[in-house]
Amino acid sequence: MKQSRKFDICIIGSGAGAGPIAYELAKAGYKVGVLEKGKWFKETDFFKDEQLGRHSVFRSQLKDERHTLEEPNGDGSWSSDTTSQFWGGNIVGGASNFMSAYFHRLKPQDFRLVSEYGNIEGANTVDWPISYDELEPYYTKVEQLVGVSGKVVEHPHLEPRSTKEFPFPPTAEHPVAQRFDTACKGLNLHPLPMARGILSHPFNGRLSCEYSGYCGSYGCHSGAKASSRAALLDTAIKTGNCYIVTQAKVYRLNTDDSGKVNSVDYFDLTDNDKSVRVTANIFVVACYAIESSRLLLSSQGEKHPDGIGNSHGQVGKNLHCCAGGTGHGVFELDKLKELEARQLKTRGPFFNRALQDWYEIDDKSVSDKPIKGGTLDFVFDPPSPTSEVSGLKWQGENLLWGTPLKQRIKSHFTQSKDFKFEVFCDWLTNDECYVSLDPDEKDRWGQSVAKVRAGFHPHDEKVAQYLVDRGVEVMKAMGAHEVWGNVFTQPTSNLVAGGCRFGDDPTTSVLDRNCRVHDCDNLYVTDGSFMPNGGSVTPTFTIYANAFRVADSIVKRLAKG
Amino acid sequence: MLKMAKAKLERGSNKPAYITAYGSGLNRRAFLRQTGAAAVLLGLIGAKPNILQAQESESRVGGFTEFTPLAVTLVKAVQLQLFPDDGDGPSSEQLNSFQYLIWALEDPENQADGDKEFILQGVGWLEELAKSTHGTSFIKLSIKDQDTVLKQIAKSRAGENWLSLLLYYLLESLTLDPIYGGNPDGIGWQWLEHQPGFPRPVKGKTYLDFS
Repeated sequence: MKQSRKFDICIIGSGAGAGPIAYELAKAGYKVGVLEKGKWFKETDFFKDEQLGRHSVFRSQLKDERHTLEEPNGDGSWSSDTTSQFWGGNIVGGASNFMSAYFHRLKPQDFRLVSEYGNIEGANTVDWPISYDELEPYYTKVEQLVGVSGKVVEHPHLEPRSTKEFPFPPTAEHPVAQRFDTACKGLNLHPLPMARGILSHPFNGRLSCEYSGYCGSYGCHSGAKASSRAALLDTAIKTGNCYIVTQAKVYRLNTDDSGKVNSVDYFDLTDNDKSVRVTANIFVVACYAIESSRLLLSSQGEKHPDGIGNSHGQVGKNLHCCAGGTGHGVFELDKLKELEARQLKTRGPFFNRALQDWYEIDDKSVSDKPIKGGTLDFVFDPPSPTSEVSGLKWQGENLLWGTPLKQRIKSHFTQSKDFKFEVFCDWLTNDECYVSLDPDEKDRWGQSVAKVRAGFHPHDEKVAQYLVDRGVEVMKAMGAHEVWGNVFTQPTSNLVAGGCRFGDDPTTSVLDRNCRVHDCDNLYVTDGSFMPNGGSVTPTFTIYANAFRVADSIVKRLAKG
Repeated sequence: MLKMAKAKLERGSNKPAYITAYGSGLNRRAFLRQTGAAAVLLGLIGAKPNILQAQESESRVGGFTEFTPLAVTLVKAVQLQLFPDDGDGPSSEQLNSFQYLIWALEDPENQADGDKEFILQGVGWLEELAKSTHGTSFIKLSIKDQDTVLKQIAKSRAGENWLSLLLYYLLESLTLDPIYGGNPDGIGWQWLEHQPGFPRPVKGKTYLDFS
């Protein structure tokens, strides 16, 4: 065993849950070590090359490591398969490098779902141990420090804000946004400009958006996208207090007689996978919800026979995977006026519209009392022409080729324009959605992989269908020639959270209100694992905000000595 | 049905972030499950007898294990059927589809999938089928007769997988960045009015240079 360096704080992972801790602690003068499994790529490496995604260049490879995914078949039985869909980014900055960065805040009711809407049978919903008001200053901090662009518009579900406006004006808008606004006004809805973790002005050494039209799923070339790397780690490094160890695959947290973590072991992928040990006073785990639970479960010790934080069997439980669906509106360009058609074909600026009119659904046709609803984001799919074109060779069951195939491809690309909406609603936590260690499947280092059982609550489908139907109505009002929508019950791979939820009761939660593990005094979990529910939005903004909140509590703790 | 399939695809591929690019990986895997060695065997079991015969006789004569001049001519001829010079848009020839195919088959993942062997094996079936049904080599057939042979091939699972795999690479040569050898000067993009992103990949920074 090679002994490596000693740090004040050792962070496992470098994504959205890790960046704020590294940034704040390094700034406060503490020695921070970040252990990241992937390599360190920079803006100059991020070409808009479809091949990078097609070959999973910045993601873990299935042959090396994977997850087992169990899903309900609908007849009481479960499917089981290995997958690499949950690997978001094997790279410094993690999956935040590749996000679309739709930065919605959660709303006050998301912190108290049970108090607001009551229990739902079969769901494990709980109120949060903190209120929206306690997180609000940190949302503001993220907007200012990480950089969020947008425009505040009054609407019935606008969350309280301590600042009047976003620090950065909205990013450039696609002409379709106007068409959307007109349609929504006709339907008495409130079209919202979408807040984005994307700079519309240069800031802190980062350039503003270049509007190449290749955003979500692609790394950002200008540094405008608020990845943990570009927005926080680069600055943390400049303090001289933050050290990033790349290609360090952490596989175990070691605990002492008192049950505290005294070191972590990682495989050094630059040195024949040799095991290396790192010591520190405080440890922070932030390597995506599924992997954080896996690491805690794998780290058994004398005081933690079932894994750290697991004295009440809570680690890995109450995972949630963001319910919802998507829908499409296709415009046939030859049916539009020339100017309209030309406008719709514009590439570069963003659609950037959202609807939150149904964040709470008060409709007797669905439920006697109001229920929690969700968000509709109107977006473009990131361009990936080769994937698109590949799907066109099949017409039903038949393989097309020759002139019929060429004409189909040409028509798809030049004669129509596809706009999309995405529905986000709560994936209710339940007893059939959790992470455990797979007893059989091992990764390339011989470690048990995480098994994800992804059971959903039927209530989610009801809410999602309601919202998808609303999205379809909007697309029709916009004049789309073909419209459809679908509800999903499979997990959304990049939006999984929970598994180590926080709470005041150690028997029903893993972390305390400051995201410190109940039964391990010097261990924190700061990725999305802490969330008892995901809110009806993408969670990255909230993960950032919460990690800044936890960073403050760690700084205070260390200041006390 | 198409929409349902599309929805399924989207599950892995969309919703914000970065997943679309990964989704293409999913498609690829799903596809390869059908074209991998096991599926090929299964496909042959379900194949039309003439394909089986073709395969057997191919084995007897040794078949193609490398891109011999004949194999090259045959693959190019098939590609031109799949993406012809029909007056609207580039043909496989103009797209450099064959050169792209040869390059792509050397990719480590594609090698591991056994794509080169499968494609060469299929060339043997094609030639045998052309000879048994039309009495001559595929390359000597009229365009109409070549299409008839391809339609015959597509009737078997293995044959359809073979054509589908050839199309997979051919369509890559239509829309991938020219740096990978197809789509010269972006002729595929121009035809499809597709605007590429920027910066585009450069020598020394292709996907193979990052691993």
